[in-house]
Amino acid sequence: MGGVRTALVAGLTLIVAAIAIVLLQSPLTVLASNSTAAGERLALTASRAGACQAGERLPRDTLAIRLSLGAFTGSAVTVKAIAGTRVIASGERGPGWDGHTVTVPVAAVAHAVSPVRVCFASPVAGGEPLTVFGSRSPPALAARSRRGEALSGRLRIEYLGRGSASWLALVPSVTRHMALGRAWSGIWVVFLVALLMLAATIATSRLIVRELHE
Amino acid sequence: MNERSAQAPWLLVRRVPTAAWVCALVACLNAICWSFLTPPFEVPDEPDHFAYVKQLAETGTRPTSSEESLSREEALALRALRYPQVRLHPATRAIFSQAQQRRLDEQLQALGQLPEKGSSQAGVATSEPPLYYALEAVPYLLGSNGTLLDRLQLMRLLSALMAGATALFTFMFVHEALPAARWAWTVAALCVALSPLLGFMSGAVNPDAMLFAVSAALFYCLARAFRRGLTRRSAIVTGLVIATGFMTKLNFAGLAPGALLALLVLAVRGARGGGRGALRAPAIAAAIGCSPVALFLLSNALSGHGAFGIVASAIGTMHGSLLAEANYIWQLYLPRLPGTVNDFPGLFPARDIWFDGYVGRFGWLDTFFPAWVYTLASVLAGLIACLFARALVVCRTLLREHASELAVYGAMTCGMLVLVGADSYLVFPTELAEFGQARYLLPLLPLFGAVLALAARAAGRRWGPMVGALMVLLFLAHDVFSQLQVVARYYG
Repeated sequence: MGGVRTALVAGLTLIVAAIAIVLLQSPLTVLASNSTAAGERLALTASRAGACQAGERLPRDTLAIRLSLGAFTGSAVTVKAIAGTRVIASGERGPGWDGHTVTVPVAAVAHAVSPVRVCFASPVAGGEPLTVFGSRSPPALAARSRRGEALSGRLRIEYLGRGSASWLALVPSVTRHMALGRAWSGIWVVFLVALLMLAATIATSRLIVRELHE
Repeated sequence: MNERSAQAPWLLVRRVPTAAWVCALVACLNAICWSFLTPPFEVPDEPDHFAYVKQLAETGTRPTSSEESLSREEALALRALRYPQVRLHPATRAIFSQAQQRRLDEQLQALGQLPEKGSSQAGVATSEPPLYYALEAVPYLLGSNGTLLDRLQLMRLLSALMAGATALFTFMFVHEALPAARWAWTVAALCVALSPLLGFMSGAVNPDAMLFAVSAALFYCLARAFRRGLTRRSAIVTGLVIATGFMTKLNFAGLAPGALLALLVLAVRGARGGGRGALRAPAIAAAIGCSPVALFLLSNALSGHGAFGIVASAIGTMHGSLLAEANYIWQLYLPRLPGTVNDFPGLFPARDIWFDGYVGRFGWLDTFFPAWVYTLASVLAGLIACLFARALVVCRTLLREHASELAVYGAMTCGMLVLVGADSYLVFPTELAEFGQARYLLPLLPLFGAVLALAARAAGRRWGPMVGALMVLLFLAHDVFSQLQVVARYYG
């Protein structure tokens, strides 16, 4: 019984500590984008496909690059930012992603670099084709496939890094935001959710103490 | 079952341990939280399921077309909520300014004046059976004086109650299946109650919520029948549960063969012990259970709509050879066999689709954790798997005694896996795994609960309860951080 109580206290303390750590961190935010809208489907790439897009600017402290690529069960995606012949940043996102964007973490970039070519590839043959989202552009500015053929436009790319404000500092704004766009809008929703989760945690804890005593 | 309980079903309810009710309460509270956290319609297929209820509640008829063009009221509400911009775009937040809120309010008020009734098109929901939607029509009508979002939230709250039923029946299933360790029942049910995916799906308008509850009830009925025998009364209840499953969601068909196998096993067992009269109870259960399917086929045949009617649109047509399909289904869950075509190059579906999907893919499957979370989760899951493996070794004699019961649960699991695989194969290779979503396996939650209970027990009499407590806290932490991830995605 003592062991169960100890485990309970230790576990709950760990959860609270982990929440505190998360709150003290800053979320990833968009440092910059290439100002291209992602409104159009530019291409459906075959598997093992890739493309490069020149004229990009890689901001300082970039930690991830978000590409406007779509898939239902996406294959692994690699990304490289290349200045001349030098790879400035590179990274890989594992398979199994879904949606109209894919975020690829890269090692932190110490200085802003411009111009760079951003190249992405889906290195595995036979995977699900990727849809490329962006805006139409003249062929000279368009992204180019691995074979050098111009796509019909430019792909939207966003560069992500740590924001300046921590989650804790953002709590008031997140709270206001949560109050919108729902039934019975209002800040009370946030407090209700917190109270309900607290009640669930108390009920769980009491049940653990009461039942797990053999 | 003694005579007193056979005559008074409410006594059975009173005999449900308090711990089971508390687990149900925890599951309900959790699902209610999810229902408030997830923005309207940011759950797979929720717009289609809402449309079905709208049609049923306002016209008394089922939708007739699986086209995606929803009613004017719903389409305009979706636009006001910025649904097309938010869905599948994790960088885009839900509506975030008072101006947008005012526009939404004005739009919702105006929509209330629209003369249109129902929504004859309900997308992917059209082919589903009507029971869940009929139940959801009650909160829909109760909220008919409010806005569309009021109705949606009331419907979500009804779904959240179903999460409570899922946890309750999981408790009762483990109670029957593993009667020796009382504390382990609580561990199993609390872990299930705090599963983020259960909370997320049961906090939405989706028949999956009811399917999870009905499936858990079925597992409980079968475990009880294997332990105490199938009486006429329990046969009727089991049959009604099977029938309810068929009327809830097409996916129940995956569990049905295993359930019928259970009745066959029980019939054989009964015939050995009590002669041919013992066949009556399983026959009653099978007859009641299959009656909705029989009535559906008959009514379609009589009305000249083809045997499967509107369901035919969901079944689709098979392509490729049976061997190729079997190979695909195998690889959807298990490592590829040597010499077979690789249908998932660069992908290990067991991990990349199912495990990662269970750990965390929320919203329209567009909300993820950072990659290290999945790695950490796989280490913790590995530890639990080791404990479970130990339990299998320690309890091997006991398991052998229950081989037929385990075979039934195995058949139900295989049935569900094959159904999801066969459905996914219909659109393969355009999409690698259309139904590769962990929620489709949640009807097997009671078995998951039993696995967790066995794993905790494997730590031994002294350490078991402590390991169980840690497992529950692990699920609580998983749930809390999943909710925070959703908050960050939509409101950050």
